Amino acid sequence: MGHMIIRKSTLAVEGLLRYVGQLTLLLMRILSAAITPPFSAYRILSQARRVGPGSLMIACLVALFVGMIIALQMAYMMLKLSAEIYIPNVIAVSLTRELGPVLTALIVAGRVGAGITAEIGSMVVTEQVDALKAFAADPVRYLAVPRFLALAVMLPVLTIFAVLVGIFGGFLICNFKLSISSHMYWSMVSDSLAIKDIVTGLAKTAFFGIIIATVGCFEGLNVKGGADGVGRATTLSVVRSFILIIMFDCFFTFIFYFLFNA
Amino acid sequence: MYEGKNSFMKDMIEIQDLYKTFDRVQVLNGLNLHVREGETKVVIGRSGAGKSVLLKSIIGILRPESGSIKINGVDVTQLSDRDFDAVRRNIGLVFQGGALFDSLNVGENVGFVLDEFSKMPAVEKRQRVAHALSLVGMSGIEEMMPSQLSGGMRKRVSLARVLCMEPKIILYDEPTSEVDPITSDAIQRLIIEMRDRLKVTSIVVMHDMNAAYKIADSIAMFYHGQVIADGTPEEIRNSRHPVVRQFISGDAVGPITEDESMKFGHVK
Ligand SMILES: Nc1ncnc2c1ncn2[C@@H]1O[C@H](COP(=O)(O)OP(=O)(O)O)[C@@H](O)[C@H]1O
Ligand SMILES: [Mg+2]
Repeated sequence: MGHMIIRKSTLAVEGLLRYVGQLTLLLMRILSAAITPPFSAYRILSQARRVGPGSLMIACLVALFVGMIIALQMAYMMLKLSAEIYIPNVIAVSLTRELGPVLTALIVAGRVGAGITAEIGSMVVTEQVDALKAFAADPVRYLAVPRFLALAVMLPVLTIFAVLVGIFGGFLICNFKLSISSHMYWSMVSDSLAIKDIVTGLAKTAFFGIIIATVGCFEGLNVKGGADGVGRATTLSVVRSFILIIMFDCFFTFIFYFLFNA
Repeated sequence: MYEGKNSFMKDMIEIQDLYKTFDRVQVLNGLNLHVREGETKVVIGRSGAGKSVLLKSIIGILRPESGSIKINGVDVTQLSDRDFDAVRRNIGLVFQGGALFDSLNVGENVGFVLDEFSKMPAVEKRQRVAHALSLVGMSGIEEMMPSQLSGGMRKRVSLARVLCMEPKIILYDEPTSEVDPITSDAIQRLIIEMRDRLKVTSIVVMHDMNAAYKIADSIAMFYHGQVIADGTPEEIRNSRHPVVRQFISGDAVGPITEDESMKFGHVK
């Protein structure tokens, strides 16, 4: 029994490592294609246009509610300690360092990552990817690079908006429910945020963008079979992005913790 | 064995002892095939015989496990993808299903290679695209999207896309299936014209034996992952090989049985 569990978890870890290895190989190919000419600004822009505006509303809406939820949950605890003055602090730091980047990444993984996999996957099953190869056009350069760069730029931008809207959501509760003045709230927020919070938040976000784009392209390029294969790959793409995002988030939090606090 | 009417010509494509396996199914099983420069070679064989796999191996989309494919004397099986690209620019593959890029319109599809790899002025590009489309009888549809085309139209646009790159070698994967008889005849004439006027070397996969006799310099028959007969249309027509006889007469009774495709690609 114990042996079984150990064996199964070794297999799972092995599978995970192999998967991350395969992703890294694809990432290397994407990066080397991205930094060598010919460049196509048009392709990147048209992808960015698809990533950005479409996800902005959802990301902001989610962040708004999350900001309000944190404020209310914190109010419940902090009022007991008469420490409600720290609520803006908690809202700003948790949204900037953690919730903003992670929630936005999960939303984008579900919306954009899945879309990337479905689109590239259906190009695989209709032999369009083969046709690219036949015309000496590298599918990685042609399909993966523009989506990768668009995500790498747009995810941090989306996250910045989401964080601002989330902090505003917190403000609504603090101002109208907890009677913390507007001036008080915003000065608490700006005092509590150090440069390192913003930098670590954005660094994570950029990394999440890389994960979403790489997983999306990898699953799409490796579709087997027909329409059912595309469906399976799309689901896998979202699930695997979610797991990797949360895993690496935990990993980074550890690193930053020991880097700055130890 | 077949020597060909241009026996003084050198081999443009020379395939030796090619093996390719998918998930334990042996698709190419020590296949040999020679195509001379400027020759039109028709390849026949049942669905699932590995004809498309062969064409994709020649252009390097699939990589065989062993054996050699020499194109103009160069063994391409050992080439890296990057080195292969130089060879690929001289080879055009007309995909069985068209494989048009569905995010691009017809004009962009046909001019894809020009857009990607040449510094040709836009006016000249447009003329080349229009000319290629007119060759396949599809003039003036540059602005249409692939999703708006019928199966036969897609195939013709796909053919135009290959003609536009002016390759030395054209691989046609069932160019005449799914099209009406008149278009089919036009495509056959086009294949003959490519050979006569531009000295293009071609491999044409097709099932229509009448068309095959008309356009082929030589015909090769695939069976069990090998070429079991290769000769002039006359030689194939008069072949005594029972499998060839059954195939060209389209007889359900004979050495090839209904469940052949199950048996073939015998699981190792
Ligand atoms: N990419 C692939 N993956 C797995 N099996 C394949 C692949 N391509 C072709 N096959 C198999 O190889 C065999 C030959 O296919 P194909 O060359 O398309 O036949 P045809 O002679 O009709 O063109 C079929 O059994 C097919 O299932
Ligand atoms: Mg085929």
